[in-house]
Amino acid sequence: MVPSLRSAFRKIWQTLSSIKTGVVLIILVVIFSAAGTVILQRPITDPDDMQRAYSPAMLRFFDATGLSDIFHTRWFIALMMLVSLSIIAASVQRFPNAWRYFARPYKSPDESFRKALPTQAQIPIVDEEQGLSAAERGFRHLGLKTERIVRPDSFSLFSERNRMSEMAVYIVHASLLLILTGYIVDALYGWRGFLTLSPGTVSNQVEMKDGSLRTIPFSIRCDGTGEDTYADGTPKRWWSKLAIVDAGREVSRKEIVVNDPLVYHGLRFYQASYGRTGKLDQLILNATPANGTKGTPQEISLALNQTVALDADTTVQLVEFIPDFVVQDGRVYARSRDVVNPAVHMIVSSKKANTRVNVWLPAIPGVDENASSPYILDPKDLKTGLYTGLQVSHEPGQWAVWGGVVLMAVGLTFVFYVVHMRFWVVPVLDARGRTLLWVGGTANRNRDAFEQKFKNVVEQIQKELKSGSVASAQTQTTEISGKSIAGR
Amino acid sequence: MARAKIEQHPATGTTLVVMVGLGIAFLLFIAFLNVVKSGNILSEANLLYAALVFYAGAGALYLGFGVTGTDAYVKFASLMTWAGLLANTGAVAHRWYEAGHPPFASIYEMLLAFVWTLAALTLIAEKRYGVKVIGTVTMPVAIVGVILMQLLPSEVRPLVPALQSTWLHVHVTLAMLAYAACALSFALAMMFLIQDKMKTETFLAATSIFTVGIYAAVLLRFEKWGGLNVVAWDTENKSEMFISRGVRLFVTIPDLGWLMLLVFAAVAAPLVLYILSHVKKNESFLAIADRAVFISILLQALALIFFLLRARNGQYPSLDAEGLYATSLAASPFILSALVGGIFANLLYLLLLWRREDLERLLPDADALDRITYKTICIAFPLLTLMIAAGAYWANRAWGSYWNWDPKETWAAITWLVYAGYLHMRITRGWRGRRAAYFAILGFAVVMFTFFGVTYLLPGLHAYA
Repeated sequence: MVPSLRSAFRKIWQTLSSIKTGVVLIILVVIFSAAGTVILQRPITDPDDMQRAYSPAMLRFFDATGLSDIFHTRWFIALMMLVSLSIIAASVQRFPNAWRYFARPYKSPDESFRKALPTQAQIPIVDEEQGLSAAERGFRHLGLKTERIVRPDSFSLFSERNRMSEMAVYIVHASLLLILTGYIVDALYGWRGFLTLSPGTVSNQVEMKDGSLRTIPFSIRCDGTGEDTYADGTPKRWWSKLAIVDAGREVSRKEIVVNDPLVYHGLRFYQASYGRTGKLDQLILNATPANGTKGTPQEISLALNQTVALDADTTVQLVEFIPDFVVQDGRVYARSRDVVNPAVHMIVSSKKANTRVNVWLPAIPGVDENASSPYILDPKDLKTGLYTGLQVSHEPGQWAVWGGVVLMAVGLTFVFYVVHMRFWVVPVLDARGRTLLWVGGTANRNRDAFEQKFKNVVEQIQKELKSGSVASAQTQTTEISGKSIAGR
Repeated sequence: MARAKIEQHPATGTTLVVMVGLGIAFLLFIAFLNVVKSGNILSEANLLYAALVFYAGAGALYLGFGVTGTDAYVKFASLMTWAGLLANTGAVAHRWYEAGHPPFASIYEMLLAFVWTLAALTLIAEKRYGVKVIGTVTMPVAIVGVILMQLLPSEVRPLVPALQSTWLHVHVTLAMLAYAACALSFALAMMFLIQDKMKTETFLAATSIFTVGIYAAVLLRFEKWGGLNVVAWDTENKSEMFISRGVRLFVTIPDLGWLMLLVFAAVAAPLVLYILSHVKKNESFLAIADRAVFISILLQALALIFFLLRARNGQYPSLDAEGLYATSLAASPFILSALVGGIFANLLYLLLLWRREDLERLLPDADALDRITYKTICIAFPLLTLMIAAGAYWANRAWGSYWNWDPKETWAAITWLVYAGYLHMRITRGWRGRRAAYFAILGFAVVMFTFFGVTYLLPGLHAYA
């Protein structure tokens, strides 16, 4: 059983590492993610819009298969994992070869290699030593380091630059894996929620997408929120002053705006929305005595359930605030929580007369008793409460993503712009027994630019040879003869 | 063979010149109206108008080269492109100065940057790599861009809070650079196919499929009971009208749908004839197909003119709401660029049909074009990568998540995957030549879809662009 299991494993591994599998997987990712942009997606789209757009059977099918929320289904994440595995398998399969290439560079070319190399040149020289040292000087002049390779049967030069470039593809693959890992971690363990705070309130309850509440291990307090607008009234800036309260102590404070969140213990708080709560903050009124004109109007301000004395005997209490009122069958109801049609209900009481008068603003016929109130109440201003909407997100994998992005930038720079070039210089004898300097070179990319570079190298070597030969013309002649004897 | 036939009837060429000349004159007239309206002489609108004139001039000169085969036209076209770029630079600078931020906040400003980059890259390709007639492909794209800009709302608007981020500017700059590089690689791949001795009739099939695709998209998305649905336009706020968040209000222009259907049939005819010639192995069908292309261009121009006249303004009923609503050309940039793009694609085919030998003489050889295409993609791909990364970083700061799978994001990722596929096939599988060129063309098609299609064809909320 064991060998068959092993062979099955090997088969799976081979399938995963093949470029065909990779291509098929990527095509699948493309198809499904494209489908996700065409089919309306659940969390973003309103359920009503979904029902309007698709027939019930269709919608049931989409929901059952996860097509209405593709990017969060298990199988899409599984597909991503498969892509990761395929990248790993393909990299592992090809890595040893590349590593050998990288760790043990080919420095001393044999004859068959020399024949097959497309970029090469031959320069006639007088003797090996003079030729090689001229070549060394030539390379140095062009800023390339050289290495003398001494083998039992040969003597040659090797020069290279940017060997790291051979590893660049693996850097890119590693970075991609890092990004995918980060994404998968976030998909499995990350969460997003929403938190609404009014100034002065504290909370540690985050409302999740599905409506459930999540308790976070510390509290967040809002110390103020507001909006700045441009001259034409379009919003310019939303801000909230936030404080973190951890174990009863205030540990951090920040004014957040859109694009600049607060971060604490891996949780990020974003300025997401801002508005009016629909709850009354303050009502400002003018109170004028109803009988006689001697009294000047006095300005009072009331919060909900607050009682204020108008004179020694009379008090007014704000008992009800209805943001959007409607009257039906002689009763007042709230239609919505938006402050569009507000009404306030106050009770003006007099101790001496022991009366309680229901005052409504605005007057609601059949409900209000405004006429019998000892004071005429005239509304000046209505201040409703502000709230700030905070998006809360926990993305433990995001650092892997950013690390991956940086690594990818480095890797791509190497892949596209850093060229690994290698040169070999070998003294050889041609068919007629003359000594030649064989110069060969290769580059792993951008071959036309390399051809030019190679031409420069050859020209420089020739120049060095010429200047060297003028200086030591005398000694060379003898050495040539010596060489020819040795050649025989 | 088709070439010989055309030379027997030189009148055909003249008719074309007159027709296209009239078309350009008409478009310039619309632009001119904008200038008159603006009142100020040295303003951004006028600079842009100048850029349009020069780009259109360059385009016309390339066309003149197509009809007459005079090399000098190409040289003057290049000069025109320089002049256009200069005016375009002025417009960009003016806007930057006026708005106080780099011009990347609205689709208008992004088009401005895109056209600028495209013109600059065209000149680089011409001077540095000797691809002299690259403008025949890129200039029409630039012209479409500038015409769209004439129609889109252009006033400088204060930035809403989510857009006040350096990262956004980085993101959009990179996007424009990357997309312009992709456009260039597409043009180069096309040139490669010409130099690679791809048959002229294959180009006929390709342009026909492209045009048929365009009209199919327009019909499927916008045709309703013989009318054409266009987005309603709020003339006071100069913006599209929405029923609810992300859902646009459409009005129906009656009968225009039938016209589009007719044009669809006309643009499908060359394709059908091409297929017939293959099935029946009869070359004479191809000659008819070439004439059908000519007729389809006339009909397309007719459709464009009718569309311009009827969608420019006017009140139309809507299926979704009571009453009449206004519309404007600015509300239908997709249809407009689709119609203009279709005409240009077919004109380019005629250019190839008539002037293939001249084109081949002026272009670098196939190998060089193949290499330059690859190099352009080597520039585009890292830019795409960084563009996505900068976008993700911005999204993370603004919306609380680096990846939301919003359609624009998803399609940007798909674009990235397609180009990654190209690079893998090229580097590990040694794909060269045709297959690589097809891949480059596919890549640009996806880019165009990401840029236009996602905004105007798909539901979604990448509302700023």
